[in-house]
Amino acid sequence: MTDLTLGELASAIAARKISALEATDACLERIARLDRRLRAFITLDADGARARARALDADLAGGRRRGPLHGVPLAYKDLCHVPGLPTSCGTRTPEYFTGAVECTAVARLTAAGAITLGKLNMTELALGPFGDNPHHGDVDNPWKAGHVSGGSSSGSGTAVAAGLAFGALGSDTGGSIRLPAACCGIVGLKPTYGRVSRAGAMPLSWSLDHLGPMTRSVRDAALMLEIVAGHDSRDATSSPRAVGPLVAALEAPVRGVRVALPENYYFDGVTPEVRAAVEHAARTLASLGADVRTLRLPDPAPMIDVCNILARSESSTIHARVARERPHELGPAVRARLEVGFHISAHDYLQAARLRARLTRAFVDEVFGEVDAILAPTIPEPAPALATVTAPPVEEIVRRMGRFSRLTRPFNGLGLPVLAVPAGFASDGRPLGLQIVGRPFDEASVLRLGHAWEHAADWRTRRPSL
Amino acid sequence: MTDSQRAAPGQLQADLAALAGAIERMGGELALGEEPSNFVAALDAGAPRD
Repeated sequence: MTDLTLGELASAIAARKISALEATDACLERIARLDRRLRAFITLDADGARARARALDADLAGGRRRGPLHGVPLAYKDLCHVPGLPTSCGTRTPEYFTGAVECTAVARLTAAGAITLGKLNMTELALGPFGDNPHHGDVDNPWKAGHVSGGSSSGSGTAVAAGLAFGALGSDTGGSIRLPAACCGIVGLKPTYGRVSRAGAMPLSWSLDHLGPMTRSVRDAALMLEIVAGHDSRDATSSPRAVGPLVAALEAPVRGVRVALPENYYFDGVTPEVRAAVEHAARTLASLGADVRTLRLPDPAPMIDVCNILARSESSTIHARVARERPHELGPAVRARLEVGFHISAHDYLQAARLRARLTRAFVDEVFGEVDAILAPTIPEPAPALATVTAPPVEEIVRRMGRFSRLTRPFNGLGLPVLAVPAGFASDGRPLGLQIVGRPFDEASVLRLGHAWEHAADWRTRRPSL
Repeated sequence: MTDSQRAAPGQLQADLAALAGAIERMGGELALGEEPSNFVAALDAGAPRD
């Protein structure tokens, strides 16, 4: 049962072929069997999930279906505030994020009938791309033991890939949805900045934070996004723009859609297998009628500098208390990254914010005048061995972090929608990742392209052996 | 925490100098009317026509 997609399970529950309690128990059994190794969960709410499942089964027996996710067990990155459960944000303090309002995205999924299994492991304070955590254990990769799950939404990636939950929420400030999606061979969507409310989720960088779905199929990502997207008065950055149908738009043909393969930056330093996988995806989309061409993109280096200024200033401000009063509680790399932000001037921060606007305007005008979407690798190499990337000294760890997330970070600064989809597998079985980048608020197009690619590929139903 | 796990002060200064230098180089081109909120306007302007 846990091999089903979220959409397949929802349909089976609606048809009364599977009960919500059976689905919940299947997840809980799998978590009990596998999570000692995987370490995807920080908090498991087995009793709460079973109680909710029984109530939803009773509702359905009485003819009441709450919504499209009725009875589907989900789990949430442990920076989403869920009433009644602690929110550690990956720190050693169980109630690190206190006094928060309920996470709007979680509330919308719950209103649609989802069941909360628990809260998922993450990199400490969401500051790191590998999924290691000194307090809650390093999240393991379900495809290859001892290798990184990707971060910072590490538990989300592993839980969904391993069938511990049917879908999850992650957050993405520099790649934290897309990196674990790529490492774990699942789908992750960073929506347009402002598309999904961040209310009730721990901030890391107000300018760069995004919440989004992590799922086993593109259709599932579209379904979850339809539910969580849309204006929320509790998030001042939330866009009033209408969301539109996303699932219904998946089957539209990709014929004539203009797709770019970058000529610069995005293939620099990637492994031959990664390059081959992305080029194969491009050829596949071309065979379906997409107009694939190469294109020189604006140099991402200035935007990466801008993102570093914004992210470091804002994260240091947000987490100043723990960084200054209890620095010994933080891992060395997290502490080092926060420390930089205390020394950035207001002048440089504001200049970075102004430059971000200029660079985004230029990118949108220049690129989306030519094409509708961009294809690029998500990770430069398959998930590396955890011991290799976390070996000291700390300066080298920070450099490795920068290299591993170099393909995802520019799009946080640009605020564009990006779908991370599996691109196949390396020769040793580790997943490879593809990013599909769209114009602002055009999640429908990146989902459509991702859906077409996913259905043309032959690895769609492959699952890790656990 | 061991010495090898601490960020060296020299490294911190180097990181800061690199970031400040990058902003200084790019910031000289900004016009008076360019403000941070233009970012949201850029996204809206680039969205598909409804």
